[in-house]
Amino acid sequence: MTEWLGGTVSFEAGGRSILTDAEIAVGRGESVAIVGINGAGKTTLLRLLANVLAPSRGALALGGVPYADLGARRLARALAYVPQIRPARVPLSVRDVVLLGRYPHNRIWSVGYERRDFDAAARALEVIGSSELADRPMSELSGGERQGVYIAAALAQETECLILDEPTTYLDPGHQRQIARLLRKLTQEEGRTLVFASHDLNLAYALADRVIALAAGRVVATGPTLEVLERERLEALYGAPFHMLEPGAGAFSARPVAAVDLVGEALVAGDRDSR
Amino acid sequence: MKRAFLVCAAALWVAILLAAPFIGAHEVGLADLVAGDDLAARIVWQLRLPRLLLALLAGGALAVCGAAFQTLFGNPLAEPYTLGVAGGAALGAVLAQQFARAAGLGGVAIVPLASFAGALAASAVIVFVARRRSTATLLLAGVAVALTSSAMILFVQYLADFSRTFRMVRWMMGGLAVVGYDEVLWAAPWVALGAAALFVLRRDLDQLATGEELAASRGVDLARLRLWVVAIVSLMVGALVAVTGPIGFVGLIVPHWVRRGVGYAHAWVLPGAFLTGGAFLALCDLLARRVLAPADLPVGVLTAIVGGPFFLWLLLRDEFR
Repeated sequence: MTEWLGGTVSFEAGGRSILTDAEIAVGRGESVAIVGINGAGKTTLLRLLANVLAPSRGALALGGVPYADLGARRLARALAYVPQIRPARVPLSVRDVVLLGRYPHNRIWSVGYERRDFDAAARALEVIGSSELADRPMSELSGGERQGVYIAAALAQETECLILDEPTTYLDPGHQRQIARLLRKLTQEEGRTLVFASHDLNLAYALADRVIALAAGRVVATGPTLEVLERERLEALYGAPFHMLEPGAGAFSARPVAAVDLVGEALVAGDRDSR
Repeated sequence: MKRAFLVCAAALWVAILLAAPFIGAHEVGLADLVAGDDLAARIVWQLRLPRLLLALLAGGALAVCGAAFQTLFGNPLAEPYTLGVAGGAALGAVLAQQFARAAGLGGVAIVPLASFAGALAASAVIVFVARRRSTATLLLAGVAVALTSSAMILFVQYLADFSRTFRMVRWMMGGLAVVGYDEVLWAAPWVALGAAALFVLRRDLDQLATGEELAASRGVDLARLRLWVVAIVSLMVGALVAVTGPIGFVGLIVPHWVRRGVGYAHAWVLPGAFLTGGAFLALCDLLARRVLAPADLPVGVLTAIVGGPFFLWLLLRDEFR
């Protein structure tokens, strides 16, 4: 893998260190998951990558050019961001929200949107399979549909790389699967680069080529997905026992599945009665 | 729908521009003008037309400023008047009127300058609060700025002599009583410049609808956007308050009407607000001149009577979300 997007960055806020010399390297067309406990610095790392924040120390580069030299507009034509907090109370239609993703392509002399903007928005909605939602107000959508729309806005931005923060959080299992399959299509069929943070380890297993594990603002492990997300490391990282379903061993996936052991003992009806 | 609203607003604007000069306590018709009636000509050209033009300019500018502030602060109740920017401008103007002459600075355009400085100072407080606190605190900060300004204005008035106090009180009510074109010609360039500058920022304002994080990731420079909008609004409000005094609630009400008609894209909202705001204030002024005719009720009193309940309604509807 040759690095396309990455660098080493630190970030401090209010005298507190949130990221310390965190190194990230993403190859072109690669899919990278960032994992770690709450407060480990995942979101901050994504926000630095998405150029929402500027690092306190260090710098990021895209294609060998530092962010500062590229400028916000050119960066936004290469990287699109889908933050975790996606405003729900937006008084706009689905199409309007997707069109907002065209910002870095808008030309100063055109008053409204151009043909190519509407085309890009329509294509993006088609990719997420929600063309029929175009005229609906955002406020009427379910959480899963809304997540899809923000991904569509990122697609309309026509960038090579998508940066997603917790793309499946708050979604029911059916919608989680829909989003996961959509993201897999984007990376495998369209060759887009994907960087995402998630607590959903199974999403990382299903999508990521490589994983970066963060703890207390430092990178504690980085490497191919199956090497990083193995049981001992997960248990050390999260401080909780895990069960692994290896592929083939009665599992429903070609990839392994990890399940956290929530209460530490099997609670089945019989056990409960006997106590 | 969008286009129809804008066309209607433009038609209304033009209709008012053509008809309003012939409406008033003294009957003047087009025929009188054509016949070369000296009194009719003076009434139309020296009294009614400048006053009407000032109403169209001020109303349009206030509505455009309100639309920009509501978007910038993500708050439907934000506008230069409720956030105390108009109050700050008024305080600046009053201080200049009272003390600049004493200091021998009367000749310079010190009143508008002071008014602009006051608006900018009030805006600075609001921006400082908006960056670190909730929307409720933002409005309360606006109230605090407005109350402090008006208390200081009262203090200055207390020091002033009787006739000047009377003029200040009248001016604080917000009125359009002008004779001739000096005030119009003074305000027009600032309004045009400010409205054009806000229009240039239309796409950046649009981006705020889905939150600052997404906007920043797409390349919107939020700090610069805030600075520009606040500076532009302060400039426009400062320039207008120096002439008309603070006129409230036009900037609050009109953008909400306009968004109902044209949606949320500022390429439509800003022109729509300019036309509708101007038409609204001109109609209010016609009404204000009628209510106590032949006496002349300051239009700011009327807009406040309409606007206060509207503000309350918005407040209850949104419950400080």
